[in-house]
Amino acid sequence: MVDSVQAIAKERAAELLEQIGPETAREMLQVMWATRAFEEKAEELYGLGRTHGTMHLSIGQEGSAAGANYALRRGYDYLLNHHRGHGHMMAWGSDVNRTMAEFLGKEGGYCRGRGGSMHIADVERNNLGANGIVAGGIPIAVGVGLSIKLRKTDQVGIVMFGDGAANEGAFHESLNMAAVWDLPVIYYCENNQYAMSMAVERAFTVEHISQRACAYNIPGETVDGNDVLSVYDAVSRAAARARAGHGPTLIEALTYRWRGHSRSDRQLYRTRDEIKEWQEKDPIPRFEARLLEAGFITEEEAKAIRDAGYQRIEEAVAFADNSPDPDVATLMDGIYA
Amino acid sequence: MAKEIIMPKFGFTMEESTIVQWLVQEGAVVEQGDPICEVTTDKINMEVEAPADGIIAGIRYQAGDVVPVTDIIAWVIQEGEQVPDMPAPSKIPASTAEPAAPAPVPAANAAPASSNNVAATPIARRMAEAEGVDLSQVAGSGPEGKITREDVERYLQDQSAAGGKVRATPAARRVAREHSLDLAMITGTGPRGRVQEVDALAAAANKTRPAAAGTMAAAPMVSIVPSGEPQIIPLEGMRRTIAQRLQASYQQAPHILFTIDINMSKANEFRKYANERVPEGQLRISMTAIIVKATAWALRRYPIVNSYLMDDRIMIMPDVNVGMAVALEDGLIVPVIHHADQKGLMQIGSEVVDLSERARTGHLRPQEVADGTFTISNLGMYGIDQFTSIINPPQVGILSVGRIAKRFVPGEHDEPLALPLMTVTLAVDHRVIDGAVGANFLTAVRDALEEPASVLL
Amino acid sequence: MPEPRELTYMEALREGLRQAMETDERVFLIGEDIGVYGGAFGVSAGLIDQFGGERVIDTPISEAGIAGAVTGAAMTGMRPVGEIQFMDFVTLSMEQLVLQAAKVRFMFGGKATVPFVLRMPGGSGTGAAAQHSESLENWFVHVPGLKVVMPSNAYDAKGLLLASIYDDNPVIFIEHKLLYKTKGHVPEEMYQVPLSSTNVAREGTDLTVVATSVMVQRALEAAAQLAGEGIEIEVVDPRTLLPLDDAPIIESVKKTGKLLIVHEAVGTGGFGGEIAARVAASDAFDYLDAPIRRLTGKDMPIPYNRMLEYHTVPQVENIVEEARKLAQGAY
Repeated sequence: MVDSVQAIAKERAAELLEQIGPETAREMLQVMWATRAFEEKAEELYGLGRTHGTMHLSIGQEGSAAGANYALRRGYDYLLNHHRGHGHMMAWGSDVNRTMAEFLGKEGGYCRGRGGSMHIADVERNNLGANGIVAGGIPIAVGVGLSIKLRKTDQVGIVMFGDGAANEGAFHESLNMAAVWDLPVIYYCENNQYAMSMAVERAFTVEHISQRACAYNIPGETVDGNDVLSVYDAVSRAAARARAGHGPTLIEALTYRWRGHSRSDRQLYRTRDEIKEWQEKDPIPRFEARLLEAGFITEEEAKAIRDAGYQRIEEAVAFADNSPDPDVATLMDGIYA
Repeated sequence: MAKEIIMPKFGFTMEESTIVQWLVQEGAVVEQGDPICEVTTDKINMEVEAPADGIIAGIRYQAGDVVPVTDIIAWVIQEGEQVPDMPAPSKIPASTAEPAAPAPVPAANAAPASSNNVAATPIARRMAEAEGVDLSQVAGSGPEGKITREDVERYLQDQSAAGGKVRATPAARRVAREHSLDLAMITGTGPRGRVQEVDALAAAANKTRPAAAGTMAAAPMVSIVPSGEPQIIPLEGMRRTIAQRLQASYQQAPHILFTIDINMSKANEFRKYANERVPEGQLRISMTAIIVKATAWALRRYPIVNSYLMDDRIMIMPDVNVGMAVALEDGLIVPVIHHADQKGLMQIGSEVVDLSERARTGHLRPQEVADGTFTISNLGMYGIDQFTSIINPPQVGILSVGRIAKRFVPGEHDEPLALPLMTVTLAVDHRVIDGAVGANFLTAVRDALEEPASVLL
Repeated sequence: MPEPRELTYMEALREGLRQAMETDERVFLIGEDIGVYGGAFGVSAGLIDQFGGERVIDTPISEAGIAGAVTGAAMTGMRPVGEIQFMDFVTLSMEQLVLQAAKVRFMFGGKATVPFVLRMPGGSGTGAAAQHSESLENWFVHVPGLKVVMPSNAYDAKGLLLASIYDDNPVIFIEHKLLYKTKGHVPEEMYQVPLSSTNVAREGTDLTVVATSVMVQRALEAAAQLAGEGIEIEVVDPRTLLPLDDAPIIESVKKTGKLLIVHEAVGTGGFGGEIAARVAASDAFDYLDAPIRRLTGKDMPIPYNRMLEYHTVPQVENIVEEARKLAQGAY
């Protein structure tokens, strides 16, 4: 079980908070609460039979999402998401209403009900979608990077993936190509210790996935994925590197998912104690603590932010409930341009 | 290679021919086209011609012999050749000679030659002829294995059940539909005997079989007139069949004609009365239905008019099946209202409508044109006052109905009355029906129409 | 009358690529050995000299990466033309093509567009054996969201390539190795041959031959031979297999009543089945005067031995024989 990683230096943390500023910091905290609320609500809705298919909850990983996305110019840079991606959707700043509507398969969803949880995209804001295929977005990120280079903009692309994806062939092909061409892409691995049931110790011979960066001669870094500022730090630096034309970075964020892989996971592969252990490293109270310490919020405000996060999700569900089902007459829309 | 000389078939109903005299002898040297014997059928004399250059040999029939059509009567051989071995023919035709070459058969009324040798009732034979059924394929249930009408019907039913389907390409089926052809009667030249489009087209064009020698000439080829070109319409298909039948009927049946004017006032009233009582949504009763009914009633009273003349026998038919001539684009077809005397007006009316429609779209079933015992032809809708039709053999009568139109006739006191009159002309076969009978029958029809209530009695 | 301008199929493709890149900076090439090497079959020869390594991008051996690269670049404003060196290797790109490129637009509710062309040479006849001779077009025909194009001659090669580059969908562009050196009239200007536009390559009356890729050329040769026997075959080239313009095929079969489908790919599960089913379900059914016949690659891998290879796929004499039999009513 890998969890020993250097914590971010106090000075650096303070510096970052300064950079982020109280307003954005509060926003980030609320996004994290909203993410948690979204996931809990998703779980509830699924249990009530109001949604179907499969669902991958990121409860416990909210810090990784907030830290990574807010370190970039959301809506200008590019995001390629993975299947456990509701948190990234929220952190990228996508409309919660339309995200919830898509989750429920409604016409008012981002994808008009055609994509569902695993394929939610907000293309207009350069959110190029979640992906139902493990490592599916990794080669696409190469293309995004090439496009940025050829168009000569200062955009950056980030592709989210999990520990399991790091063993797909496409991961290796893509990191190699991105490295060879110095593409402005951040390869961001959320290592939550398990692929589906396969623990990382059984799937890797390296201690840190970030070690694989050396195979491609690019910088690799492992951070505490449950510390928003550690993540923010790593991604900011990687983005700066990319913008300077120095190519890709592999970041490994150590985190944990509190729930099973998906709804049908009986979690026979891990212990309750382990889950509890990680729950004590809950990213939300940790970030809250930082903000309190920095004087960005009061206790009351903290509570209000939490409530606002949950309230936002209630609104989103109401929106989604009012959104109609897609019209069968439009069944074959959108296959071809 | 010895070339067969076969007894050709000149007319579509022709089944046998009598040799009048041989024009050459055994051993004579002939050229292709030379007349070699004279034959007669139905009082028509024809010549049989040599099909090739060579020597006449193996003459099998003598003058006076009755020969089944397509039977071999002799051969043309070359120097040094032998006549093939064949059993001597008996008076009762027993050969199984095949026609010279297989070819598409005309659509209607051509039973395979092998039907000739099988015992069957005249009705069965007629039905088989109409459906192109080979009687040798039919099991007979009558006395001594004679094939009855029911046997042929059963055979047809079996054929149309799965397994008896005709092998034909979609294109051939389309052509058959378009020309109202029965696929089962078209010889297929495709693999495994499949009917190809070209076969269906040929059937539609009704090419004659290439017979050996001396066949009746095909439609005469008109030479092109330099000063202008007449439009040539070969006598083919349905037109040709109709032509042949009409000619045969006209030549063989001595027609006598009776014309009468019928006052249709009461029939008109009756029709109005009846239609007021027709339930919502049901078809209105037409005058045609009333005329059919009246005729059927009259036929019951004069059964001799409801008979067939076949094989020198008059057969008074048990059922009254009235046929109605329906005009088609390129000819005529006669769907039949079976048991017209027993059906009510509404039923007759709806059958009239249904059959006419399907006649026009080419969707009649074979049994719907079979077994007619009397025919009505109506040109009233064409504005014709009076006309005559030719009897449809083996029936012995046909009624031609003109239009109903107001005419002035003198009343009881010689006052002019404008009455709706319909002129009908009855033609009957004088071999079966004499003047008095014909007249009585026709007046019965008139009475039925002038006093419709009397039909109820 | 000046001589019609003739280029080889390969030169026509190169000219199309060059002209697209000259006029549109969104177009770039990416593939293995396409730079200095000029491409395994020479299609991109010289282009790196004109456009530089930035726009004629050599890749490591990473077909999944190539497919992902063209997908991602196309999603973010470019019009890439990727190359898979042999159609056989596209099997390594399948996830990106089938699950990403083909479906992204649909899954995102009609939002994204993925305008790329992925070129690849397919087919046998070069003695390259089973793993370098594939004809897998029907795999892609089976994936809605993709377009599948197979040019059969030089004129169509350039025109279809330009049309594909400017189509807003991912296009699988399948060339044939044996066609690269064939010549045809190729106008100098930029022109497009519309996608989904079936071509009647030769008019005839006795039967319809629908053929793809190199089989079109073979069918035309067969037609010339058969004309000497009085049999006139109509040769129909779909050019785009997906989406298929089937109306001219149906009209042709209505006219001739007989259909022979010729393709190199294995018969079972091949594109011929699709055409046969469409024709049988159409208006043309009532005009069929014989069973629909297919002449295809045999259900087997391509063998190494040249003579065996020759007998594995339809050749001109096979087409002649089959067409003659069909025309003469053997079936």
